[in-house]
Parts: sequence; C-alpha cells; structure tokens
Amino acid sequence: MVAAAQHPNITLFTYAEVEKVEGYIGNFQVTIRQKARSVDHSKCTGCGTCWEKCPTKVVSEYNLGLGMRKAIYISFPQAVPNKPVIDRQHCRQFTKGKCGVCQKVCPAQAIDYQQEDQLIKEQVGAIVVATGYDLFEWERAYGEYGYGRYPDVISGLQFERLNNASGPTGGKILRPSDGKEPKTVVFIKCVGSRDAVKGKEYCSRTCCMYTAKHAHQVLEKIPDSRVYVFYMDIRTPGKAYEEFYLRTVHEGARYIRGRVSKIYPEGDQLVVMGVDTLLGRQVEIAADLVVLATAMVPSREANKLARVVGISTDQNGFFMESHPKLRPVETNTAGVFLAGACQGPKDIPDTVAQASAASAKVCALFSRNEMAVDPMIAQVNSALCSGCLECKNVCPYRAIEKATVSERVGGKVIERTVASVNTGLCQGCGACTVACRAGAINLKGFTNEQLLAEVDALCL
Amino acid sequence: MQRTGVFVCWCGTNIGAVVDISRVVEAVSKFPGVVFATDYKYMCSEPGQETIIQAVREHRLNRVVVASCSPRLHEATFRKTLSRAGLNPYLLEMANIREQCAWVHQKEPEKATQKAIELIRRAVSKVNKLEPLYESTIPITKRALVIGGGIAGLQAALDIADAGYQVVLVEREPTIGGKMAMLDKTFPTLDCSA
Repeated sequence: MVAAAQHPNITLFTYAEVEKVEGYIGNFQVTIRQKARSVDHSKCTGCGTCWEKCPTKVVSEYNLGLGMRKAIYISFPQAVPNKPVIDRQHCRQFTKGKCGVCQKVCPAQAIDYQQEDQLIKEQVGAIVVATGYDLFEWERAYGEYGYGRYPDVISGLQFERLNNASGPTGGKILRPSDGKEPKTVVFIKCVGSRDAVKGKEYCSRTCCMYTAKHAHQVLEKIPDSRVYVFYMDIRTPGKAYEEFYLRTVHEGARYIRGRVSKIYPEGDQLVVMGVDTLLGRQVEIAADLVVLATAMVPSREANKLARVVGISTDQNGFFMESHPKLRPVETNTAGVFLAGACQGPKDIPDTVAQASAASAKVCALFSRNEMAVDPMIAQVNSALCSGCLECKNVCPYRAIEKATVSERVGGKVIERTVASVNTGLCQGCGACTVACRAGAINLKGFTNEQLLAEVDALCL
Repeated sequence: MQRTGVFVCWCGTNIGAVVDISRVVEAVSKFPGVVFATDYKYMCSEPGQETIIQAVREHRLNRVVVASCSPRLHEATFRKTLSRAGLNPYLLEMANIREQCAWVHQKEPEKATQKAIELIRRAVSKVNKLEPLYESTIPITKRALVIGGGIAGLQAALDIADAGYQVVLVEREPTIGGKMAMLDKTFPTLDCSA
C-alpha cells in the first residue's frame, strides 16, 4: 500500500469514483469524481486530534459492524492515506448544522465543511479494472443460521477483523456478544457457494483455504479450543495448499462432511445441528462462535461501472474476459483489462498473477507509439446518406458524428447533413448498418452485397 | 477473376470423427471460383499453415476459405498466414464446422457432413465478394488508469509504474488496500497482509 502511495509514477485518488469514460484504446478521456472529504489533505498532518475529539460514534464499516468509528475518521490506524474524511451522513455539522468540534481542535486548519465534489479529467491509453468482490449477503438467504440475528454467527471476513492486530479486539478472538474467548468454534463452508437454490451455483475457490487458516488460528491462539469444520468437499488446488490443510487437520481441527441444518441459541451458546454424511449420523455441537465461509459476489455497483467503462458481465455479474483460456485478462473492449476477483472468485496468489498479466498487456500496448486498428468498421456512403442520423442513436460506442457536405445541385452549392464514422471509436458491431434505411452504411468486410451473397448461397 | 482455395481442417478428431472430410473436399472443389481444395489434420499448426502458403503460390490463389473452428479462436492466426503468403489478410473467410457443426451434431454424421458442405458454400460465396482492407493506425497515450485500490489494482499499478509509465489509481473508499488490508494472515505462507 505504502509502495503505491509513494511511487513517483502513481497518482492516487482515494474517496473517488470513475464517472465517465469516453474515447477508445490508446485515447480514453476519463472523468473522475473526487468526493468531498471535508478535510484539506494538503494541510492535514494526520495528527488524529479531530477523530479523538469528535463526539459522534458510528458503526465501523471497515470492522464490519464489530466496532465503532467517529464521524471524522480513518478506517484503520495504518490507513493509506493516513488522513481522515468526514462522513457527512452522520457528522453533526451536516445533520444538525452545529458542532464544529473538529474544526476548532484542528491545529492545521484543515477542516473545510464547504468542500465540494470535484470533477477531474484525465487522459489515459489503457484501463485496468480491479474492483474486487463483496461477500454474499447470507443474512437474507439462510434462515436456518438465524438470518443474522445471533451476534456470534459471523462471516469469515468478520473473523479476519477479530484476528487482525489493528482490528476491534486488537487481534484477540473474542465473541461479539459478550467479549468472551470462545472455546468451541464451528466453521461452516459453502454458505451461498455451490447452492443454486439459495445462493450461487459456483465455487468461491478461496473458502476451503481461508477456513483451514481460521481453524489453525483458533487452535494456535486459544488453548484447549475445539474446532469443527462442516464441509461439502475439500478443494485445495494450489501450491502448498493441500499440505496447509493437512497441517490444520493434524493440529486437531475436526472436519465433518455434511451440511448444517439449524443453529439455535441455548444459554449463552449456539447449538449447531448438522449431519456427518461419512458416518451417516446426526451431529449436535454446542458452540461459542460460528463462522460462515460466505460466497464471493461481484463488488457492489460493479454493474454501474461495467456500463461506464463499457464491459460486459457474466450471468453472475462478474466482468467478462474476452476468452476464458486464451484472453483471460482482456475484455471485449480494446484497451480495457481485468485484474482480480472482479472477473471471478480468486485468491491472493491468482489475483497477483492476473494483475501482473494485465499490467504486462498494458506495457506491451505502451511499448509502441501507435497501433494498427481493425479495418472492419462502418463506412458511410454520403451520396446515399439522408442525414436522418438514426445510426447515431443506435451506436453503442458513440462513434457516429454529424458532418456537413457541400454539393452542387442544379448549378447551386448546397450544404447537407450526413453521418460520419469516427474510425477510432467504431468497433465494427454493425448496429448502424441495420438502422440505416437508405442502405448508406456498410460494415467493411460485411457489406450488404457480401451478406446477401451468403444468404443466396444458402437459400437458392 | 477469383481463384479461391478451400482448406478443410480435421481438428484432430473434433471435426474429423464426425464429418466425412473427403466428401466435403470433393463437394466444395466444385463451388464457383474454387480452384483448389484440400484437408489437413491441424490446419492451424505450422505444417497446416505451410500447406496454405504453398497452395497460394502454386495455384495463384487470391481468396482463402478455412473451414475449421470458430473465427474467435483462429481468424487472427490465418490472417497472418495470408500475409505470409503475400495476400491481403482480409481476403480470408472462415467456415465454422467445429462449434457450429461437428460438436453439435456428433450423433448425426451424415447430416453434419451435409451441413459442413453448406457452411463452406456460404463462406465461398462471401469470400468471392471480399475486397482487400487496410489497417490504419492510431496514437497511444502512454498513461494508464487503474480502477480499484485493492491487491489486484495495487499490483497492476505498481507493475505498470515500475515499467516507467504514469498510472492514475482510483479508489472508491477513503483508503487503499481493499479487502486484503482487512485480513490478518494470508494462506498458505501466513504472511501479514499489509
């Protein structure tokens, strides 16, 4: 993180979103919305006085509801950049119109309540989309696990926060309900994954391994702890993965092949009812903490970004690669590449490999000063064009522009509107050729004459 | 005057086990404009491409039809072959007799053979109408945008930046690091994730 922030060739925009992408490979114009932080980062020193004094406490998104933050905050102590933003939804200065504590205490006079969103324009030649994933909302689908009503049934990512030294418990594994150390921990895999009825049909690929890691961490950190893992299959296809899983088993994690049918509270514990399909027996475990390995789904608003950048999505909402085997980091939009879990569930080694592959593609593109473009694009015969510009309406790439031609008609020179194709933007999809009633647009390599020859060959 | 060559690929057993290739070659060699037709086990391989180049020279071909897989897979390959043979690379037409024929009609070899012939008939009549096309060039702005500041975006940004190009990195949240920074240790090495 720090390496990226300090790199002389990297311009970093945090708390910012890509709002508009125009242009084409080698020549994109991008509009970035820098959301108002209400803090002037050029003055702020990151001293922390403001968030210490801020009177408003808000549930921390970064700790996934397991802790609190202030209305002016940094997400975690080592955050990059290490300077705060004001959450205007909760800040009293914005909700009630009075407070101003942070402004009063800031020694650098960096607080600026009047700051507004800024639109920044950038010219780029290539785009790497790396928007990652979110977790499947199991609370909406899994009633048998309590619909999220039991505080001690948590997701794997929440468990990470409990384990993290910068997290809400300082790295101690403690139950969210009463802060006690859990002695019996149950892990349930494939929550939302490989479940076509309630969740997603696909395997999320990372859960077998991180659950093995979680089980290892419980056994390592909590003496006399008992760990049970409910699984459907163990999938460890990676270098040193199977060994890692076996190590956890040898450390004492008990793996039970079967699903959990119900979780209910009893006293201060949770009773986990499931089945061991290898022994053909029902299982009941009194647990102190239950951790669910929930499915990976596309990042929220991935769909919106897909429309902005012009990339397609698969049936699950992940961004589509150009070819699953041969063009895994390219999209069908030239100059736009994919990296990481936005393309499909992926662990860290695979993500890093794909990111490096995407950057290699970008560097290969940048190694040339100009590039050849596919000549199979639309072409307007302006003599036939009536200037109705119906083609402009249907073009998904905004590649058709209005143009004027001068013609001599009956001894007089008149000016006439016609359509004109921007050869850089046109992707050769052919939508315009169908929309053109005058038959004035042809796609090179797919002209009306050529297509009719094909039809004749098959039908006559 | 069109002098078209048709090259029918077996794709190993993918096409060859379903479609009667020799009947196809015989039928398509009678199509208008076709002066040469042949088949090969893997047309995309080096000897396969060499077959095309040799035939172009020997039979003075000026149009080429390759009947094989989807153009999505090998159109670019065969365009390069045409260039090497001295033809305009856009005087190529592909007939997809694998995905759209052999694979979907595995249990009906007779009908699949008929369909392959028809698909090639279509390609031949189109190739006879093709005109040479020429590529134009566009300039490249050597500056990249990376959307997302998680491990994927950071790795991509650092790699591009290390190669000496400018990178604009955009992150929605107030901090970079994404999900990975939320993690504790990471498998299988149990490194820290910061």
